[in-house]
Amino acid sequence: MVREVSESCVDSVTMEMVAAYCGRFYANKQELAARRIEAIGYQVGLQLAERYTKERPRFADHLEAIKFICKDFWSELFKKQIDNLKTNHRGTFVLQDNRFRWLTRISLDSPLPTANGSPKESSTTSNDAKSAQAAGMHLYFPCGIIRGALTNLGVPCQVSAEVANLPACSFVIRIKG
Amino acid sequence: MIICVAVVGLQNNPLYIQSFTDGDDALKLHYIVHCSLDVIDERVNNPKKIGSTLNETYLGLLYPSENYKVYGYLTNTKVKFILVTTDEDLKDADVRSFFRQFHAAYVDAVSNPFHVPGKRITSRAFAERVSTIVRSFGTSTTI
Repeated sequence: MVREVSESCVDSVTMEMVAAYCGRFYANKQELAARRIEAIGYQVGLQLAERYTKERPRFADHLEAIKFICKDFWSELFKKQIDNLKTNHRGTFVLQDNRFRWLTRISLDSPLPTANGSPKESSTTSNDAKSAQAAGMHLYFPCGIIRGALTNLGVPCQVSAEVANLPACSFVIRIKG
Repeated sequence: MIICVAVVGLQNNPLYIQSFTDGDDALKLHYIVHCSLDVIDERVNNPKKIGSTLNETYLGLLYPSENYKVYGYLTNTKVKFILVTTDEDLKDADVRSFFRQFHAAYVDAVSNPFHVPGKRITSRAFAERVSTIVRSFGTSTTI
């Protein structure tokens, strides 16, 4: 029995969740809002990890679990795999997604052309900063999902996200201990 | 006939235990389930001794006693399923298919947003589904 969910509905729910926590429940406490959103993602990740690993053998080490996140887990969630996986072999992994699905719907004002007709260097950098700020809140949920999934697979870790230019982003996983 | 099924969590904490006997031998069954946890630990930590398929979730027959046979299953998330049965000659495929159905039921139960991870499973729907799976055990070999 395969049940499917409309993609636009999931997009709406995730965006509305971020809007509700940041704008209404914890309007003046962005950090608390971020923690709450991350916590929701954590529980979702716990449950999804249980479901998606149902038919597969157990993982031998941490790398296998992270590879599973990059390939199968990401395919189940976003119909694509992580584009690039980097590691320093000391417990830090960087997962790069060149077109992260939950950021594709975020649009920003395009930089205004200056008098010379071409946007100046400074305006593009400020635009990058703005996009990073806007997207940052939307990345706590997927960070929580990754942390929840890995924790349930026996890899305690911390996850943070970075946005370079939309809709690309990277998730940094630091394994604890 | 299956007389007991149990779900044991990450820290060897009981999440669900249900016996299917009329008598009051619940304590004895708890004891059997407890003993099997050591066997599971041993198998997982020394996989070479067994030499069988690597890291499979299905652990097979854990140990036979005079009256019972105990089968085990360890998920990726280190949750253990334990099956105690009185049947003498069980087909491996039957046990595997039981555990597969049981795992599906477990996943659905813990995906309930009202379930607190790591706490006992109190869902009545889960209990009913488990008894259905237990009743149908061995009657069909379809996978």
